[in-house]
Amino acid sequence: MTAVKSSAEAQDIIVIENLNKWYGNFHVLKDINLRVKKGERIVICGPSGSGKSTTIRCINRLEEFQEGSLRVDGVEMIDDVKNIETIRKDVGMVFQHFNLFPHLTILENLTLGPIWVQKKPKSEAEEIAMKYLERVKIPDQALKYPGQLSGGQQQRVAIARSLCMNPNIMLFDEPTSALDPEMIKEVLDVMVELAEEGMTMLCVTHEMGFAKKVADRVIFMDGGQIVEENNPEEFFNNPQNERTQLFLSQILGH
Amino acid sequence: MKPSGPIDTFQPIADRPAPVQTVGPVAWMRENLFSGIGNSLVTLGIIAFLVYYIPPILDWAFFSANWSGTTEDACVKDGACWVFINAWSYQFFYGTYPLEEVWRINLMLVLLLIVIAMSFTLPKHYRMKASIAAWLALPLVGMAILYGGWGGLEVVSTDLWGGFTLNVFMAAASIIVAFPFSFLWALGRRSQMPFIRSVSVIFIEFFRGVPVLSLFFMGSVMLPLFFAEGTNVDKLIRVWLVLIFFMSGYMAEVFRGGFAAVPSGQYEAADSVGLSYWQKILLIILPQVIKISMPNILATFVMLFKNTTFLLIIGIPEVVQTLQTALANSYWLGGHALEGYLFVFLVFWASCFGMSVLSRRIERTLNTDKRD
Ligand SMILES: Nc1ncnc2c1ncn2[C@@H]1O[C@H](COP(=O)(O)OP(=O)(O)OP(=O)(O)O)[C@@H](O)[C@H]1O
Ligand SMILES: [Mg+2]
Repeated sequence: MTAVKSSAEAQDIIVIENLNKWYGNFHVLKDINLRVKKGERIVICGPSGSGKSTTIRCINRLEEFQEGSLRVDGVEMIDDVKNIETIRKDVGMVFQHFNLFPHLTILENLTLGPIWVQKKPKSEAEEIAMKYLERVKIPDQALKYPGQLSGGQQQRVAIARSLCMNPNIMLFDEPTSALDPEMIKEVLDVMVELAEEGMTMLCVTHEMGFAKKVADRVIFMDGGQIVEENNPEEFFNNPQNERTQLFLSQILGH
Repeated sequence: MKPSGPIDTFQPIADRPAPVQTVGPVAWMRENLFSGIGNSLVTLGIIAFLVYYIPPILDWAFFSANWSGTTEDACVKDGACWVFINAWSYQFFYGTYPLEEVWRINLMLVLLLIVIAMSFTLPKHYRMKASIAAWLALPLVGMAILYGGWGGLEVVSTDLWGGFTLNVFMAAASIIVAFPFSFLWALGRRSQMPFIRSVSVIFIEFFRGVPVLSLFFMGSVMLPLFFAEGTNVDKLIRVWLVLIFFMSGYMAEVFRGGFAAVPSGQYEAADSVGLSYWQKILLIILPQVIKISMPNILATFVMLFKNTTFLLIIGIPEVVQTLQTALANSYWLGGHALEGYLFVFLVFWASCFGMSVLSRRIERTLNTDKRD
């Protein structure tokens, strides 16, 4: 019995149980339950203000929560600096507005974590950085500053910056919503590649093409709750909840 | 589905120069000085005013001025007596610092210039570290050189220090020491911990809310009461402490503005990369705060620099105090206050103007981060 349970848990890299969060008196997340297996790709969608960002930001403690539990790779998310640091080293995050460090070059943006957090020597950190810059196809921009790059390039740098820390989980919060249409594809391509390599991914996005292509599971949130979750085929072709149906008809309608 | 039939080709329109009437001095004058009747009248009025007042001023300052000589008696013409300034120039700049030791002050000024130059010209990958170290070392090195008492250097007691270089030294030494403190106060004011936050708020608001003059009196009269009995802390050191506190209160607010201007995404990105609190503050936030705050830091410094003239109130022989001594001197009773104050005015104005040129230069270098 215990053996079965622990092997099931070993597979679940993220375990969220009955998570509740309030901003003051505003109940923003309600009874969130979510288990993510290693290598699973999850897309989270839902209307604005439904708590999608808040949910994934709880996973690396950019937000605190008041009730419930959250475990990442077996480490309990509690009010303990050690645990928070361990989890953050394990989880990479990509933001809607890239959030590159504007005073550092692209290369310095990428080597910062390996040098200061992982204590790697500079030369090794630069090697790693160049490897990932090549993977996101912009090694030639290494010595420029973020302000000199296009939005799509900046977002690919941001992805590379997270990958340099060698995370087991990647969180994406609307990575393409601040981008012009012609740049969305170059970022999605990188994300698809990453998914194909088996990275565990949680991605808040309204790119339904991406969801259909790579997601193992699509989660629909509304009003701070998980309303529906299913594999992409069922989710898009046969949504169960009226809220989901309404939402899908709105975003697929045009 | 491809459209059939003929397709319009893109026809670029050639660039044209801007319409001519907005370019050139005549057009500029017409637009800015004589654009209407009212505007033309004001312009003419100002020209008449200048024509009436400028020549006598020029005459007083230059054509009828007394330039050569060493004593009061040399001032025979009606114009300004620049001889007075000339005769006292050593005291105005160096106070009563002994002549044979004055190279130490000059060395100090050269060091200051070198450190300023270093902050711009060193190779970029260690510029930040090296210039911060140099700036922080400067007040101590300066103190050691000016005071002496080591390696064969004669001791020059601080009551001999004076003149304009004392203003420069007091301002520079206090802002440099205040810099790290004000940064900590600003951090404290943003802290989540109520105790740290209230202490910071009280400190900052106290030193911002109290006139600097009363702080100087406190420094010279009250501060000694706090030191252990028998210890005699130098008066100059005491006002230096006062200036440091005063400045760090002001600059903490400057930094607070800088902190507020750094987008929260920067903190979140630093957190999600896994940096610790101090790594985040020092590597990510501080450089951006300094860059944002640079114009205000320099403005605050200019204010402090001018405020050092208040030191005369507690009898410290900075440049204005020296000027008053000179004006009261029995060999120079011809009434040279106008020349003297004009001179002080020009020296301060030139330094402050130099600093604002420097500050624009700094802003440009910081901004090239984005382009180059
Ligand atoms: N710091 C905060 N303080 C108070 N309320 C907040 C705060 N941050 C978010 N909220 C509220 O919490 C709710 C959920 O926000 P969240 O950012 O998670 O929504 P979202 O689903 O990501 O929406 P979007 O698609 O617009 O990004 C919203 O109603 C929002 O107004
Ligand atoms: Mg959001």
